[in-house]
Amino acid sequence: MPDENSIYSQEELLRMVRQWVPEGRVPRKIRVKDTSDFFRIDYDDVVVLEGVPYLVRNNEREGRFGIPDEQKFWVKRAIDLVSGKVKILKWAFREQFHSRIGGLVFECVRSPRKEARILEMVRGRPDFMQGAAVRDSADNPLRVVDYIRGKTLEDVTLSLGGSHEEFFFNHYPALLLDFIASIRAIRYLHENAEKHGDIRRDHLIKDKTTGQYRWIDFDYNYRHGASRFGYDLFGLGNILIFITGRGDITTRGLLREAPDLFNTLTEDDLNIVFNARVANLKKIYPYITDYLNHILMHFSAGARVYYEDTRELIEDLEEALERLRG
Amino acid sequence: MNTENNNKLNDKHLLISVDRSEEAKRAVLYVADFVGGFPGFRATLMSIVQEPEADFFENEQERTAWLEREIASTRHNLENYRQILIQSGFPEDKVDIRLCRDSRKSLSDAILSFQCEMSCCTVVVGRQHKTRTEEFLFGSVSSQLIHAAKNCAVWVVE
Repeated sequence: MPDENSIYSQEELLRMVRQWVPEGRVPRKIRVKDTSDFFRIDYDDVVVLEGVPYLVRNNEREGRFGIPDEQKFWVKRAIDLVSGKVKILKWAFREQFHSRIGGLVFECVRSPRKEARILEMVRGRPDFMQGAAVRDSADNPLRVVDYIRGKTLEDVTLSLGGSHEEFFFNHYPALLLDFIASIRAIRYLHENAEKHGDIRRDHLIKDKTTGQYRWIDFDYNYRHGASRFGYDLFGLGNILIFITGRGDITTRGLLREAPDLFNTLTEDDLNIVFNARVANLKKIYPYITDYLNHILMHFSAGARVYYEDTRELIEDLEEALERLRG
Repeated sequence: MNTENNNKLNDKHLLISVDRSEEAKRAVLYVADFVGGFPGFRATLMSIVQEPEADFFENEQERTAWLEREIASTRHNLENYRQILIQSGFPEDKVDIRLCRDSRKSLSDAILSFQCEMSCCTVVVGRQHKTRTEEFLFGSVSSQLIHAAKNCAVWVVE
């Protein structure tokens, strides 16, 4: 097999770079790097994967649990020098660790194999990021993913409406309709015995081109117990509460800004896992319908029954939407 | 129909679902105390090896090794529980063990499909005391059995 790094000459690569990069940004010299070690690959380097040269740009970043902009060194934005399209290159970075949530510790893994498998499974679907796995020089699965231009569900939600009441009656129904479609996408995974593994509101991006939300980043997996999809459903519940409240309503925020409302809350009104977030939003926004609030309460500390699968949740949300539209 | 088959049909068949937990042990001891020595009962001790997805292993060899260890240890546990039931008075030929592997079904679905296949009249499990958060995120076999079981009794042993 010929060495991929020597397929293109310096002149060829520079000519290709000039096609897609403004003159001032064209590097003087092109460094073609081996693909096996992401730590050695920097801005302006070129990597060649299955014959396609990519000009590497910045590392991607992700905020998590209040830590903003954590760099993901194994995830780099890049320009496909053949098509000019922006891609996300995700190097193989497998890590096994214990997650702690709500006092529980459970085993998790970040698995490039899992994401590669799901990318294959969801090929052509408009509700998931698209891409394919290729092999790096050490034969690890590296994923080449289409860059999605658009806002996260979180950003979209926070940008809608004036008062919450205006948001709820004029914007929320459409937002909920979109979210139900996103839950159907997760249902497709579950029906095929796959979990998303990391359901969060910033892992749903509204694709500017199609207007549809796409799930991203499904390389996490968790060791499930009796309920295989319980953790995914928990993620969906958190997003549902977030979009319904147009943001998380926290006990600390209420104590500061609306102590009267804070005083009406009991422990049962709070999120079953994140006890500082309010799940019983009807106590905050009384115009939220009983039916919808009843769904939210499945994710509260006072819940006695939980959703076991996405089918039940979808059916209930469709009914809630129907009632909202009157 | 011979006498052995007749007995099989007439016996009340208990399905005891166990793992290596103390709660499972309590369920076995309860059955031993409660019906051991009485005629007309048979029991199947069942364990499900819940195989983690391949993502949790570096490679196939690691997964196979894990599985072999788990199966050996589960089988050993089942044999021990079988002896407990026999010592309590169950005839040897009326205590079976069954080890299943399942990574796709939920545990409760796997138990209930076996109960249906074997026409067991009762499913016995130990109850693991979980916090609400734990039950919400990762489920509870005993709760799921209580809600999903049809045409059989469920004994949840505290």
